[in-house]
Amino acid sequence: MSSAETQPRFGQSVKGLLSDKVGTCSGDVIALTRQVLKGSRSQELLGQAARNMVIQEDAILHSEDSLRKMSIITTHLQYQQEAIQKNVEHSKNLQDQLRHLLK
Amino acid sequence: MAATGEKAADMDSISRVVMAHPTALNLTGTTVPHGESLEDAVEPLAPALKKPSTNSDGGVETAEEAVEPAEPDINELCTDMFDKMAIFLQGELTATCEDYRLLENMNKLTSLKYMEMKDISINISRNLQDLNNKYASLQPYLDQINQIEEQVSSLEQAAYKLDAYSKKLEAKFKKLEKR
Repeated sequence: MSSAETQPRFGQSVKGLLSDKVGTCSGDVIALTRQVLKGSRSQELLGQAARNMVIQEDAILHSEDSLRKMSIITTHLQYQQEAIQKNVEHSKNLQDQLRHLLK
Repeated sequence: MAATGEKAADMDSISRVVMAHPTALNLTGTTVPHGESLEDAVEPLAPALKKPSTNSDGGVETAEEAVEPAEPDINELCTDMFDKMAIFLQGELTATCEDYRLLENMNKLTSLKYMEMKDISINISRNLQDLNNKYASLQPYLDQINQIEEQVSSLEQAAYKLDAYSKKLEAKFKKLEKR
């Protein structure tokens, strides 16, 4: 069967058949490669992973922004605590005075 | 089947002979003088189309098929073809590799961002712990402030009572003065 196919047909040289065969083999190799890539579904999975990452990016940026605000608020709380510490030292004198007044 | 096989073998031999002498022949059907051989009729290395020589062997006219001249750089062309095939296949696979690289870069950037956030959150936690300890140390003072506030309110009550008593006294004094 194969020998009959490789025999030169009417109007077709061996050279032409050979070039056709080479072209067919090249096409088969290309199709095989594409089928292997398509079967692995790597394109879909990686694309989906990239899309999910892009969706998460907004949440990540928001979290970072919230953390930075929290650190600023913590700093303000420290300042307030220092001011309270400074002022409560007067409360002892105040209490003594009030005790005397109420006696 | 045998006849067709023999005919096909003849055609193959003819084509091989013609390829050995690279010429382009034309199938016009003109006849060559009787007795002339096929090889003599074929002129070597002539790219132009030639009149086909016919062999009238036993009254049967045969003609040579027209063939292209053989490529002189077959090896180079084959190498070129395989190189380009390799480049093409590599390009097909590179697309997936680039997707992986993209994901890898995105993951690296995200991990860097999370490390920064981790540092920030560690600082916040340490500061809040210090703050909690300082507020715990302030608690007695805050209790004192509560006591002060109670004492001030009781002082205020006492002041109101004193004010009312002094007003009563003033009224009684005026009454007595009138008498």
